[in-house]
Amino acid sequence: MGSSVDQDSAVDVTDADVTDRPARPGPGRARPSRGLLTIVVATGLLFLVSLALQPESLSRSSFLGMLPFAAVLAVIAVGQTLVVQQGGIDLSVPGMISISVVVATHEPNGDNAKLPAAILLAYGIALAAGLLIGFLVSRLGMSPIVTTLGANALLYAGVLGISGGTPRNTTSVLHDIATGTFLSLPHAVYFAVLITAAVGFVIKQSVIGRRFEAVGANAAAARATGLAVRRHQLAAYVWASLLYCTAGILLAGIVTAPSAFQGETYLLPSVAAVVLGGTSLLGGKGSPVASALAALFLSQLDQFVLTLGVNAAVKNLVEAAALALGVAVYTVNWRRLRDWVRPAAPQASPS
Amino acid sequence: MTATPEPSAPPLLRLVEVGKSYAGVPALTDVSLDAPAGVVHALLGENGAGKSTLMAVASGTTQPDGGHIEVAGETMAALTPALATRLGIAIVHQHPAVLPDLTVEENIRLALPPGRIAGPGGAKAWMLGLLRRVGARLRLGDRVDELGVADKQLLEVAKAVALEPRVLILDEPTAPLGADQVRVLFDQVRQAAERGTAVIYITHRLAEVREIADQVTVLRDGRVQGSGPVAGFSDEDLLRMIVGRGVASAFPPKNAGGADGPVALQVSGCGGTGFHDVALTAHHGEIVGLAGIVGNGQSAFLRALAGLGTRSGEVRLDGVALSGRAPADRIAYMPADRHAEGLMGAMSVRENAAVAALPGLARHGVVARERERAAVEAEVGNLAVRTRSIESNVMSLSGGNQQKVVMARALLAAPRLLLADEPTQGVDVGARAEIYRILRDVASGGVPVVVASSDAKELEGLCDRVLVFSRGAVVEELTGDAVTEEAITAAAVGANVHRRAEDERRVRPWLPGLRRFAVGDYAPSVILALVILTLGAYTYGQNTRYLAAFNITSVLTLLAALAFISMGQTVVIMTGGIDLSVGPLAGLLVVVASFFVNDGSSGVMMLGALALTLLTALAVGGLNGALVRYGGFTAVAATLTLYIALQGISLLLRPFQGGYINSDVSALVTAQVGPVPIAFLVAVAIAAGLELRLRFTGWGRRLRAVGSDEQAAHRLGVRVNRTYILAYVTCSGLTFLGAVMLMAQIGVGDPVQGVGYTLSSITAVVLGGASLLGGRGSFAGTLLGAALIQQILNATTFLNLSQTWQYFFQGALILVAAAAYTQARRRSRVS
Repeated sequence: MGSSVDQDSAVDVTDADVTDRPARPGPGRARPSRGLLTIVVATGLLFLVSLALQPESLSRSSFLGMLPFAAVLAVIAVGQTLVVQQGGIDLSVPGMISISVVVATHEPNGDNAKLPAAILLAYGIALAAGLLIGFLVSRLGMSPIVTTLGANALLYAGVLGISGGTPRNTTSVLHDIATGTFLSLPHAVYFAVLITAAVGFVIKQSVIGRRFEAVGANAAAARATGLAVRRHQLAAYVWASLLYCTAGILLAGIVTAPSAFQGETYLLPSVAAVVLGGTSLLGGKGSPVASALAALFLSQLDQFVLTLGVNAAVKNLVEAAALALGVAVYTVNWRRLRDWVRPAAPQASPS
Repeated sequence: MTATPEPSAPPLLRLVEVGKSYAGVPALTDVSLDAPAGVVHALLGENGAGKSTLMAVASGTTQPDGGHIEVAGETMAALTPALATRLGIAIVHQHPAVLPDLTVEENIRLALPPGRIAGPGGAKAWMLGLLRRVGARLRLGDRVDELGVADKQLLEVAKAVALEPRVLILDEPTAPLGADQVRVLFDQVRQAAERGTAVIYITHRLAEVREIADQVTVLRDGRVQGSGPVAGFSDEDLLRMIVGRGVASAFPPKNAGGADGPVALQVSGCGGTGFHDVALTAHHGEIVGLAGIVGNGQSAFLRALAGLGTRSGEVRLDGVALSGRAPADRIAYMPADRHAEGLMGAMSVRENAAVAALPGLARHGVVARERERAAVEAEVGNLAVRTRSIESNVMSLSGGNQQKVVMARALLAAPRLLLADEPTQGVDVGARAEIYRILRDVASGGVPVVVASSDAKELEGLCDRVLVFSRGAVVEELTGDAVTEEAITAAAVGANVHRRAEDERRVRPWLPGLRRFAVGDYAPSVILALVILTLGAYTYGQNTRYLAAFNITSVLTLLAALAFISMGQTVVIMTGGIDLSVGPLAGLLVVVASFFVNDGSSGVMMLGALALTLLTALAVGGLNGALVRYGGFTAVAATLTLYIALQGISLLLRPFQGGYINSDVSALVTAQVGPVPIAFLVAVAIAAGLELRLRFTGWGRRLRAVGSDEQAAHRLGVRVNRTYILAYVTCSGLTFLGAVMLMAQIGVGDPVQGVGYTLSSITAVVLGGASLLGGRGSFAGTLLGAALIQQILNATTFLNLSQTWQYFFQGALILVAAAAYTQARRRSRVS
């Protein structure tokens, strides 16, 4: 998936006369990314369609029921975005989520006083796992797929070791933290919005984030420029792990009696959200905000299909179609396809 | 030296008044060249003189605008690469088209028609003889990845020689070779000529022309400057023709102060890969040039100065010793390969230009947008970068403007030293002059500039001091008025330095045999087998029921399903792809079968159902392949889409468990000989068959070739798209076999079974030693990898270990194995 390279360059190159002009001084504003626009429009459309065809899917109760889970998925998708931006893919999502959930519920075992220690422990484990994966990938040059696959198995071992496979109820404080409402929205939503905004800000506005994107776009060029390539790669896995851990702790508060393998269902949607958000699986520029919105999109899609009352499997097919379209939007040369279909079509000005 | 051709015979290859222009700029003008049988014809000229274009025309890669080509007296309407090969025209490329993950033998077999490899003593003896003839001290089993540049070049020569072409074109073949190897190569060239081959020999070096060639043609600026018997020209004549007498008005005035300024950069005793014993002193205000023919160490030295790659010796910048990679704001490096190392492709001009200077444009770590924009606008204006806006994608710019963006990045960071490797390569004439001006401005501003260039004229016009490299060493240092194109070229082409012995043969730290085994394809298999035996023995020691017939049957039956699916995964991973959809596909096939293969179903119906499931599998494989090759999807994106869709279809067909599989079919699938299931024996047989095909057939070589180096495979005539798609289809076909096993094991249509096989199969393949980068792996290894996974699941129960340990062992194994294999491969690589 050439991300938006092919598209943008195709557009610019065809206007050969324009590129001959010297740079125009004055405001040539940085546009919001294509992925962000696409997912904003798609999410908007989905809510309109839901409202028109299946208002129940947007009823107060079902909306508020959907939001906490969308928030959890959004935080995970933001983490997955960081890894994908470095050209990787993180298969350790289920293990990280599950172990965070288990640590946050098993250690306190309903005792609120033990919650802070448990949360600290969960972050400690996440930090260690992120450092291990990041070290193996950035220093030893191991394949991200293999490394995160192995790490996931180790984390599952940890999950079973701690829990023995039996769930325990969440503590009341954690439940309040995650699901209590403020201005009639669940807290989890605020967590997700704050985290997404913070990561989005760092990636897009800070020196570190800008260099992080440059390393992902072309590690060799980044090295030749003198950037600390390995440190950025390592950081991707560490921060991703910490984000998964946060999502897991939220999830532990949302689900009153979470299972030991609560994270299992989050791997595919997290990758799907990243792809739908327009971040190329080849790495480089990415938009955490778009990924988080895509998480909302996928969650509402679930809700919509669920209230339609059709077979739940339709959800998978719609997701697959959305994913295929989401990739094709960026990889297929639509201009060429259109010219091929209608050779005489006048050239539209690039938007 | 030559067989006298019959006077009446027409030249084997004849180019008549060939012309070629690129975008209105002539690359060749009325160039004629004869290559008669038995004659070595040298083609001499500088970089950019048109030699490569001429040879691309001669080999059919490029179509000329004017003139025509005659082969053995016959005028060719249009020459294509395939036609050229059929007519007996062979080229030894400057950058060998060899496949790193394949062995020497496999590279030879892939490049030659099968009928060619035969002789007394068999194919191996023939190939060994071939390698001996070109002076390559190689073993057929050596992996090309582990060869040095020289050996790769000799392999490329061997492939061309083996074709026994009528016309042999060699493009600077001696650049990476040592003295002995050059002598052997020249013997080969002479022998070929004696056999009546027409040889065209492209070179920069006058000494080589004297030694090997009968005829010489000199090209400059796409025109023939002179042609005739070598004996008819003196060295001075040839030099004059190469260099010409052009007026270089495009250059800015040089440094007035000469070498009077304070010393800025002091390098002594600097050595590294490709260069040695380099000393350099650069003063403030100076531009220092590194001259030499491409690949003689000047670029490697420049990279080492930039901190890319290791070096020995001392480098002092303004009196401070440097070690390792200096930060972006101390030393700016402009790479020669803009696309690989210069540009961040998906990003805008602004993002590319600002990346090194960001800390200076930020407040508390946050980039100040307006400051950034103003700085980039100013630099872009100063360098006269032509772009629609600074937000345009950097790839939409012309080559010269892209180079200016790289330059803007370097200058915005306000470095203390500027290093530029071939700064005007692929840059049009107008932009060149501007780049020269900018470099001079930088130097005048007190920042020393070091420029590596293969264009002597450029160095003459630009530099205050020039170091001429030949075969990794500085052979001449020119300063002031002595910096002339003639002096530079004379030093570069006249030098008779040979590469040092260490560079020719790489150091072999281990026992050769052990080393070769450790980096081979079967080391993982042997290690896995040992682990399996040890674990088995230990478990048996703890619990003798472990080897009871019942347990053996059950483990091997389970193993068969995983083995089939993992072997399919191996095929795809060998191409550098990955198939995430195998698990859900296996599940779907069982679900489909559960509708038809029931107790009471007729035999015809059941056979039809099997055919249906097989077709479904093959269609899914085809779709995966098509998305990857024609849809622009990455393998992960394509197969993840199918993963979700297939799971959806399974759930749609069977929301709940249902449809019991025919018990006779189950019995048939799980039939056994003694305690061993027949299905397991089938899996072993298929693994063995695939392994043999992988090593010894065209299918196997092509599969690994596309995974190893897609571009090189394409140049060697491999049909790349077809090979990829076939790999995905084969994978699905093997998954079908796995699904047949699952039918019997699960016994019922279940929408969620099978999904887990995706990750298990990848684990098995990785344990088996395949590289996810493609090009290597083995089916035997995959089978053993699958066996170990299954054994761990089984043994832990006999050892009374909990599921925790199952996960722990699996995770630890895959990490340890992948780390070990990755390290072994890294060490084996020479670069």
